[in-house]
Amino acid sequence: MSKKYLIGTEEQQAYMKDYNWNLKGYSYFEPGVVSTDHKFYSAFNVAKSFYQVYPEVFNLKYINEKTGLSTDEIKARIKKMYEKHEIMLVKNSCVGVLGFGLYYWIVKLKDNISSEDRQRIVDWMQNNDQICTGYVMDENSDFDFFNGNHMRTLDNLICGVLDKFRFDPCVDYVHICPVRRLVRESHVNQFDSLKDYRKYFWSEEQKKNILTFQNEMDAYDFAIIDAINNVETVADMFDYDVLAQLSGLNAQEMKEDFVYLVEQTKTVIPMVYFNYRAVGLKMHFFLVTMFDNTPTWRREQICDELAEMSEFENIFEFGDAHHHLILSAYEEITDIQRIKEKLLSYAEIGEIMEATSSRQLRRWTCRLDAENDLWEECIFTDDLLQDRARDKVLCSNCKEEK
Amino acid sequence: MRIDEARPYVVDKLKYALNPSSIAVVGASRYPTKVGNKVVSELLKWGYQGKIYPINPRADKVLGLKAYPTLRDIHEEIDLVFIAVPAHLVTAVVQDAVAVQAKVVTIATSAFKEIGREELQNNITQYLRDHQIPLIGPNLVGMGTPYAHFNCGFIPYLPVEGPVAMISQSGANLLAALGTSQMNHFGMSFFVGLGNKADVDFSEFIEYAQNDPHTKCLSIYIEGLDSPQAFIKSCQKVTKPIVVIKVGGSKIGNKAAFAHTASENPESDDYYDQVIKEAGAIRAQTWQEFLDISLALGYMPPLKGDHVVMVTNGGGAGLLSCDHFERCGMPLHELKEISPLLESRIRAYMPMFGSPLNPVDISGTASVIQYKGAFKQVLRDPNVDGLLGAICPTAVTDVNGVAEAAIEVYESCKDLHKPFIMICQGGQECHEAIMKLRDHGIPAYPTAEQAVNAMVALRKQAIK
Repeated sequence: MSKKYLIGTEEQQAYMKDYNWNLKGYSYFEPGVVSTDHKFYSAFNVAKSFYQVYPEVFNLKYINEKTGLSTDEIKARIKKMYEKHEIMLVKNSCVGVLGFGLYYWIVKLKDNISSEDRQRIVDWMQNNDQICTGYVMDENSDFDFFNGNHMRTLDNLICGVLDKFRFDPCVDYVHICPVRRLVRESHVNQFDSLKDYRKYFWSEEQKKNILTFQNEMDAYDFAIIDAINNVETVADMFDYDVLAQLSGLNAQEMKEDFVYLVEQTKTVIPMVYFNYRAVGLKMHFFLVTMFDNTPTWRREQICDELAEMSEFENIFEFGDAHHHLILSAYEEITDIQRIKEKLLSYAEIGEIMEATSSRQLRRWTCRLDAENDLWEECIFTDDLLQDRARDKVLCSNCKEEK
Repeated sequence: MRIDEARPYVVDKLKYALNPSSIAVVGASRYPTKVGNKVVSELLKWGYQGKIYPINPRADKVLGLKAYPTLRDIHEEIDLVFIAVPAHLVTAVVQDAVAVQAKVVTIATSAFKEIGREELQNNITQYLRDHQIPLIGPNLVGMGTPYAHFNCGFIPYLPVEGPVAMISQSGANLLAALGTSQMNHFGMSFFVGLGNKADVDFSEFIEYAQNDPHTKCLSIYIEGLDSPQAFIKSCQKVTKPIVVIKVGGSKIGNKAAFAHTASENPESDDYYDQVIKEAGAIRAQTWQEFLDISLALGYMPPLKGDHVVMVTNGGGAGLLSCDHFERCGMPLHELKEISPLLESRIRAYMPMFGSPLNPVDISGTASVIQYKGAFKQVLRDPNVDGLLGAICPTAVTDVNGVAEAAIEVYESCKDLHKPFIMICQGGQECHEAIMKLRDHGIPAYPTAEQAVNAMVALRKQAIK
């Protein structure tokens, strides 16, 4: 039995009950033992490679039961949504147990920089393959980028990525925000949510408003995504016979492996990602800083209370950072003011920064920039053997290596 | 999968693998760090003139070329399908390849039999065999030919044009040979990495090489033979010289060969010795020897007898050569035994302190004129079967001039069909001389032992 350090009041020890989030990295496979081309991942890998051309990799019968659409109609709609870059089949990995830290970082640019300078930095962020995920914010937001990396060590993030731009005269500051809990991303509850693991969230208000806000996607399109993402078990997510036919692998084995991977080990979450940019939505971010005297368990309680709200598309809780929470919701179809009032109702919250994003740059190593013809180009950003601290740093001023 | 002999439809269709008029690259990525992107970029870089169809369902264009979601979307004739996608996608791609009636399929992808997926590999192979489409690979690096500016695979080099067909089970060693070709002007006619050789076997490329007009010598790297009888039969049909290096004979090497290319080697090294002998091929023991003797056999005719004369300006190179000839079981004969008159004629091209023994030492002061005269006297003598020339770069030696003289003499005496090999021991000027000589079809080497090995191989070829 592990030691218990019982200093302080019972209230101060409350984290022991519900909020004892263990260190990651050692609870499952050691780093490097299981890779994403392991047979456990076969079903996902086959589906990921074929769904663009063969939408029947998804369980059309199941979707038909949920939506009432014919299988041909479902296939046509999935194909249409893919071709219009409205959806992408993706997975989130519980990177901690695979041996990586999950680091996000906030960037604030200086006020009154030129639009050319701003664009230069946006392009750099978009094209830098060491940055695995991120959002660029519209001008006049409280901050300008919310980016993230899964990196083996913090050194690799600092030396391999941050040092390469943070001394640029246009950059005001960079705040590293290591993720303590990945609660929700792309509407789907993640590995560190208190409940409803893998559930796909949209509020009723959002579901209603999205249909009047845009004409690209209708209720059936959203129903298809909902059906796929909200399967009770991933045994229902794909048509494993189709996967077997395409790959030559064994259908039953693929299904059992994938169910084990997602539902037993809980190290990966497959989902259909909805690309808000494709339908002209903007994402409104709330970057929340709580008072330093707020105990960890209380911060996490607040996080979980907010996670009850289905409006949020993303919820990350940070540790060892200036900021403690980031949450986001679509600006045009959500009552943003009501959310803000909810946040302000917590006495523990000291500061709320806000930003609006019209563009997500990447999503978990996957490029989203169709304008560069790089839609769905997946780039792994770090490996277990790299020491990026030895990389030379290119000075953004003099362009010389330092 | 085992075959009893080379299948005619395979041999016939291999021309589409090495000289295709159209290629579909499945898994052509937009990113320069990825294999599929490299395949397309190397095709473009080296000037391939045929049609290239990148297959990538996520992209509209790859390297400026229109991309297609699947093979079925091309609607044009496809000679070669090059597959560079993960193993679990290959079955579907192969089904498409059959549907569009591709001529040849190449699978670069790893993770088949070598990691225990034998059934998957066999199913794909059998499916393609049922449709008479040759499958090269899986688990290979690629293939190509400099004569068609065709570099198909994740291979950074196209070799220089030349006589050697390199058929290799190992991608890494093939790459090493290709790098050597670029750097040391080791001329090749074509090259191919066979990988797991699930379908197309050594024997079929051997028979293809016999018909290839640019190939004068076949160089074969083997980790294991699945179809030894087919190998022997095909080699026996071939009239061109064949050099073989067989690895994986050691205890741990045997296991490594299976992990590498799924090669199963239950037989002893002696067994392979016997197979290679029965096939009429020459076995090299080391990689360097393999390259050296391949080059000689590619450029030079067989050595009809053992009357080899060595002409050198340095006694040291001569002594190294003498000793190694003897070690190889082919000792040099004294000049007076070979041709008493040659001894007196050759004296005209050396100072009084030179030695007309054999090696003929025309001394460190030898000029281009003296070299040229000595070379010509030796080659024109009817009792001489082959010439080994050596340059040691003294302060007065015109290394480049001697190389040019050697080329001139070689060109003028080509019709005599006598091997002429050169040694250029020294620094940069000698390396450049070697390149120049090789560019003109003369096997040239930086050490005496390499040159002697080459000459001995030419003799073995004559008496096999």
